Amino acid sequence: MKKLYSNKLVILSLVLPGVLLFIFAILAPICLSVYYGFTDYSGMGSFSFIGFENYKKLMTDEAFWMSLRNSLLLAIGFICIQHPLALIVAAVLDKLGGRAESFFRCVYFIPNVISVAVIAYLWKFIYNPDFGLLNNIIKAFGGKGGTNWFSSDKAIWAVLVVLIWHGFGWGMLIYYTGIKNIDPVLYEAASIDGADQKTTFLKITLPLMKPVIQVNVTMAVISALKQMETVYLLTNGGPGNSTQFAANYLYQQAFKAFKYGYGNAIGVIFIIICLVTTVVLNKIFAEREGRRARRIREGL
Amino acid sequence: MKKKIISALLVAAMAVSMFAGCGSKNESEKSSDGTVTLKVFSNLPDRKNGQGLVEQMIIDEYMEENSNVKIEVEALDEEAYKTKFKAYSMEGMPDVVSIWGQPSFLDEVVEAGVLAELDKADYTDYKFIEGSLNGFTYDDKLYGLPRNTDVACIYYNEKLFQDNGWEIPTTYDELLALADKINAAGITPMAMDGGDGWPMAVYLSDVLFKLTGEDYSDVVSNAISTGDFSDENLKKATELLKGAADAKLFQNGYDSQDYGTAMNLFTNGQAAMFYMGSWESSMALNEDIPEEIRSNIRVFTMPVVDGGKAAATDIAAWNGGGYAVSANSEVKDEAIKFLNYMYQPDKLSKYGWENGVGMSAQDQSEYMTGDETKLQMQIVDAVNNATSVSGTPVNDCGPSAFKTSIESEIQSVSNGSKSVDDFLSAIGASCK
Repeated sequence: MKKLYSNKLVILSLVLPGVLLFIFAILAPICLSVYYGFTDYSGMGSFSFIGFENYKKLMTDEAFWMSLRNSLLLAIGFICIQHPLALIVAAVLDKLGGRAESFFRCVYFIPNVISVAVIAYLWKFIYNPDFGLLNNIIKAFGGKGGTNWFSSDKAIWAVLVVLIWHGFGWGMLIYYTGIKNIDPVLYEAASIDGADQKTTFLKITLPLMKPVIQVNVTMAVISALKQMETVYLLTNGGPGNSTQFAANYLYQQAFKAFKYGYGNAIGVIFIIICLVTTVVLNKIFAEREGRRARRIREGL
Repeated sequence: MKKKIISALLVAAMAVSMFAGCGSKNESEKSSDGTVTLKVFSNLPDRKNGQGLVEQMIIDEYMEENSNVKIEVEALDEEAYKTKFKAYSMEGMPDVVSIWGQPSFLDEVVEAGVLAELDKADYTDYKFIEGSLNGFTYDDKLYGLPRNTDVACIYYNEKLFQDNGWEIPTTYDELLALADKINAAGITPMAMDGGDGWPMAVYLSDVLFKLTGEDYSDVVSNAISTGDFSDENLKKATELLKGAADAKLFQNGYDSQDYGTAMNLFTNGQAAMFYMGSWESSMALNEDIPEEIRSNIRVFTMPVVDGGKAAATDIAAWNGGGYAVSANSEVKDEAIKFLNYMYQPDKLSKYGWENGVGMSAQDQSEYMTGDETKLQMQIVDAVNNATSVSGTPVNDCGPSAFKTSIESEIQSVSNGSKSVDDFLSAIGASCK
């Protein structure tokens, strides 16, 4: 068997499917995107090369910058609101134990189980200015109600709330699994030393969760950049372009405005941003790791 | 040796599984025994109601009369349809397709050489309403046939109006004054599907037509061909739209609410008026709408604008959707034969009328049954008494990049987050 695995043909046959899949499903489309990004292709008929024209136009395209700003806001929302909350909830869940633990674990995960289309319509109704739940609650507490949550200045915040709420379950579940993997002996030792809940969380849970946090944050940032379906169903980028996100804008330009070349140019910029973000995040975390390793080596 | 055989087998197995999915499916549509398969690609996924039912009825009849023809239908709703249409245009169109006789759709499609040219002389006896073929003509060649006549309508709840003593407005100022009165009664004046952008673009076109009258198409085509939208009428029309939004003519949050939500406001009696095309005249027959509301739905068209050139009987109407034949169809003759069959006046036009689908693009007067709803008759009268019609709404007059732009920017200008001048220059830029 060992000999079989050292046969180059066998290795090739085993690696080939993955490599081919990568080439045809990921690499080739990216190359095609780059190619079409330099054309004025409408998606049909003939086209001609226009060099960097699409990219020049993109630089002055308000809607595109708006969509990037919104993606950035979402990423910040994920990192600063969703993930700290998710981590704390996960830690609290871990302490609950018994029936309550599995009950709340389920409850927090429910939004992720429901289809995006349902989520979008659910929130459309919650936000509705006339009969929406949110305005009715405000009225019940003596407020005025009748607020239009999707007005051009408020819409982005309304959308962010939905997205942060929707992605919460995933983040929490991954943190929860991470916390469950921490050796309970450490907690015991800490409690013998007289550490309280807060100290235990800050000095044991948090440091040991670093790799999990790293994975989770990277995934959150990428998913913020890729956000499309919820926004598409909730506002489709409107009113105006106030809730436009990059992936949705790409779709609109390529398939609705018949600007396939331009859409591909957006796609290329989009890929570059995603790659750069991933590399930068990895760098940041690697430096931290490196510093920590150095500190340990130096006996600090 | 044995291992070599195993490894060779593994490689072979991989290779086979790799290519298993790549079979050729390019079989000829005309088989040896003379049966012809026609592929119809339609934007009417509901085959049991309305227009989709009418289309299916004709298809079934055609297959019955021509036993050698088999018609396969693929139907998707509008947005999915347009996306797949594009995919088909690259790898081969079905034989008969739904199209839109408007520059925002047709220009790119015809330039790509996807559609077959039709012979104008074939249709002299088909009773097409004058001018209805214009949108489907490109460089003086006919590429498709129109299915409907669409009219921009202001539906209103007659009972609500009578109970509150509201009058049908005869001028635009009266319409805005009426909005105040209706708001004061705690009711939404007009339900507007502002989330989609195009109904507001139709509203803008409607007002623009009232301002410019017969100059409408010149003003629009001029602006689109030069990308310069600074014409004073365009500016005034935009200001009037914004004025309507400022006067709270539309519901709270209109700029983010979709078609269904807006329509529900009206059909639940929460809104007194509803701005939509004549295709919704079937509301009067819709059993899902409470009886006291559906039997009281009436319609009027956009009132005249002070200083505008158009009279009350100059209405915003156009011919949008229709059918065409694929240029590369292997059974083109049969496809054209089927297309012509559909458009025989006693088919699409007659069945459409009988099913309350709205007005076709052909003369329907001989198919009146006498059982038409009041709403249907009001729309027919509006068209028959029209002294002129506008033609294609502004958003569909330019390339699709312009359509996408105006339908998004119009939300910003109406809700005040963008100035009128910025709006006009932004949509102008998308034409270049």
